[in-house]
Amino acid sequence: MIHFFIFLPVLASLLIFLVPVRWREEFAGAAAGLTLAGGLWSWSVGGLSYYSVPWIPALGVTYSVQMDGVSLLLGIVTAFMTLIAIIYAGKRIPNPGTMLSLILMMETGLLGIYAARDLVLFYVFFEDALIPALLMLAIYGKANRMAALVKFAAYTLFGSLLMLISIIGLKYYGGSPTFALVDLQAHPVTGTLQTWLFLGFLAAMAVKLPLFPMHAWLPDFHAQNHDSGVADVMGTLYKVGAYGLFRFAVVLFPDAMLEFRPILMGLAAFTALYAAWIAFSQTDWKRLLAYAGLSHMGFVGLGIFSMNETAMIGALFLLAFQNIYTGALFLAAGMLQERVGSLSTKVGGIMTQAGALSGMTMTLWFASIGVPGLVGFVGEFSILLGAYQVSPWLAFIAGLTTIAAAAYGLTAFQTTYWQVRPAGAVLAHDLKDLDWLILGAPIAVSIFFGVYSGPALALVQPVVRTWMAGLGGGL
Amino acid sequence: MLPILITLLGAIAATLLGFFLPRRAITVISMVTLVLSGVSMVTLWNGGLTSFDGSLQADNVALSIGLIILLGSLMTLLVSFDTAARAKLAFPEFDALLLYAVTGTLLIAFSGDLVTMLIGLEVMSLSGYVIATLQNSRRAEEAGMKYFLLGAVGSATLIYGIALVYGATGTFNYVGIRDATAGLQVQNVSLLVVGALLLLCGFGFKVALAPFHQWTPDLYSGAPTVVGLFLSTVVKVAAFAGMLRVFGGAMQNVPAWAGVMQILIIATIVIGNLGALFQTNFKRLMAYSAVAHTGFLALALLANPATGGPALTYYLLVYTLMTAGAFAVLAALQRTEEGFSLDDMRGLFYRHPAYAVALAVCLASLAGLPPFAGFMGKYLAFQAAFQAGYVGLTLIAAMGSVAALIYYLRPAMLMFMHDRTPAREYPGERTPTTAAVVLGVVGVTVLGVLPNLAYGLVANPAIWTVLAGR
Repeated sequence: MIHFFIFLPVLASLLIFLVPVRWREEFAGAAAGLTLAGGLWSWSVGGLSYYSVPWIPALGVTYSVQMDGVSLLLGIVTAFMTLIAIIYAGKRIPNPGTMLSLILMMETGLLGIYAARDLVLFYVFFEDALIPALLMLAIYGKANRMAALVKFAAYTLFGSLLMLISIIGLKYYGGSPTFALVDLQAHPVTGTLQTWLFLGFLAAMAVKLPLFPMHAWLPDFHAQNHDSGVADVMGTLYKVGAYGLFRFAVVLFPDAMLEFRPILMGLAAFTALYAAWIAFSQTDWKRLLAYAGLSHMGFVGLGIFSMNETAMIGALFLLAFQNIYTGALFLAAGMLQERVGSLSTKVGGIMTQAGALSGMTMTLWFASIGVPGLVGFVGEFSILLGAYQVSPWLAFIAGLTTIAAAAYGLTAFQTTYWQVRPAGAVLAHDLKDLDWLILGAPIAVSIFFGVYSGPALALVQPVVRTWMAGLGGGL
Repeated sequence: MLPILITLLGAIAATLLGFFLPRRAITVISMVTLVLSGVSMVTLWNGGLTSFDGSLQADNVALSIGLIILLGSLMTLLVSFDTAARAKLAFPEFDALLLYAVTGTLLIAFSGDLVTMLIGLEVMSLSGYVIATLQNSRRAEEAGMKYFLLGAVGSATLIYGIALVYGATGTFNYVGIRDATAGLQVQNVSLLVVGALLLLCGFGFKVALAPFHQWTPDLYSGAPTVVGLFLSTVVKVAAFAGMLRVFGGAMQNVPAWAGVMQILIIATIVIGNLGALFQTNFKRLMAYSAVAHTGFLALALLANPATGGPALTYYLLVYTLMTAGAFAVLAALQRTEEGFSLDDMRGLFYRHPAYAVALAVCLASLAGLPPFAGFMGKYLAFQAAFQAGYVGLTLIAAMGSVAALIYYLRPAMLMFMHDRTPAREYPGERTPTTAAVVLGVVGVTVLGVLPNLAYGLVANPAIWTVLAGR
């Protein structure tokens, strides 16, 4: 079942070219739906258990996968947003076969990242998710995509290769027989060596997270991607840095994590505030959302780096659900572009002509800036609560971000959707048929888990407790 | 010794029958010869036979590298089927010389002493010089001339090195040299060290380690594409086989060469990768990428043969598949032998989707992106060097890979960008070349997902302890 869940999308992405052109959207939708169903079924049976076989026995590389609570939550969110993206892409992009195939290919990469319990396997999926992202940008991007592409690839691979060397070093110095996580945990590396290996690992995760000096690829990546926002949805799902830190760094480099905790928390808090500051001056919705996402990820980083149970639960919760509302906001920006032909935040007056689109966008923005009752609040509040116990001042600085978020989010919303529609502007039509589902489903999820976060927290909590228990509890 | 004899017979047959049969028939005969030679190698697996008093040894190392050589040669011949006529190479002498070169490369792989190795190297090089200049054009002549002059200097250095090693140890035999250097009880250590370094320089010319790489870009871009394919895969594999025998086996305990080797590897990785960043012609880019890959391959040579040997063999196999695949696509689509400029590749995906995807797969593999086999090759080389204690060197190699990703990415992504200008490629169907491309693409994909298929065969450390012979 677990292999079905991981590999069904990539299988569909290859088969899609055998399907007649007119059935491709339905085929991709069915595959994504089936994957989501598989994820929900796994949830109902309480996760998918550990499975491990040797992959390259001579090197100690194994194929080890598992879907525990955290993996499952992120996996289901990925499957859900993939389905939404596919529905939108099928509607919006002419002749979408290639795009649908890339989306499905990327889904497998992401699910594999969440499922992998072997470091080399993790690396393979980590890089696999890169290829479709690059192709989406190359095929569907805008005029300056080549620069964005090179920047994105160079940053990502720079980090990944340092991580690869850390992975090799981790097994070699620890003397573990395989790269499987359980074996590596049983053969820890300690002392200065651990610090150096952690820095290599951190390089990859900080790029993906992204943390302050490593973030420069992100705005260009989103700004140069296709207007529809479909590629961006997959881009937001792609923020696997925090997950990697939680899954591997916390248990493999606990001492180094603690040693660097003040610096990393400071960087994360700074990233959150700095990104919010920059977002305030953006006039392009894509760039604005990119910086907003960066700001959220600063929050998530703060939660993970604080090594505090509450904050870590909050970080994983936020990581999962941030994908939903930020992804939906990217799609909403795409819908706006479709209607008025521009991604500018100074369009004005959309509310009078497209009330439903505006209202739904506003709801999503409320989720994004952490209004209570919506899902964004639960995560941000837990992170601040936990981080406060570790470092009150940094929690305070990060807390300022929520105010800044309201400022940039609502200002941009106001200048786009309220005010007066300029004379002679095209008539912006309102939501039609599937548009309702594309924005409505994420909103429904945001409200449901915002009010009743128990089921999702129940997925995350036990795993975080187990993970933290190994660290002696005195943190 | 059957595999070598079969290719030699094939070469002689191609020479003689060339007077009576058309060229395509000769090519078919040559391919059959190569396949037969491969079959005979498979039957010798685990046999551990030697002949001529250990001068030739058919251990598993020789056989696995021999099979890689045959694979590369087979792909060359497949590509030459279509493109030889346009490259003005369509005479039987091409196949004959190719097979002579293959015979030489196999001699290197199977060699048990320095003299056999040198004979193989010279047979390979001389045939190589002729193949490079066979096309009647100024560019090919210039390229071949450079190759010849620098190659001759390399050979001379190598021979001088061999003479000094003989002077220091009193034997040509790998086992003898190994025994003589085991406790370093040689009459004259400095003579031995100088000999080893001269050998390293000589090999450096052959595999294109910087700063001995200067001929590569001119040769690969000046010579016909199919020749570039052959020289950058088969010849390089053979030269690495020689280095593996000499430095991994016979002279492993000799001091100083490893230190110099490190410097050469750093220079190669830096120069190769930076050089490739600024190329506008795809063939020159591939030439610099070949230099860069030499640096990565050589990492495995520094390591302990038990881990470095299998890593090197696997990497060589993958390197052959992906480089030959990329050159084959180039050979199929280019209009002239000058290859593509990078701008010509814009929008290739919309004109030749299958070729474009195949080329993208080869480039992704060359860049080391999983799930393609290039990743595993690079990973194995890094791991081998890391475990041998060369951490700094591994870090430099990793940084080099970042540059590599950028220059492979540019052509790969340009192919997928929309473009409205008319096609600049050769439009026709080229079935045998396509077969070579398919072989390369399927090879890198399957070996990337299931690396154990190839790696498992050579992973046994025991076969690498006898590199120098019994």
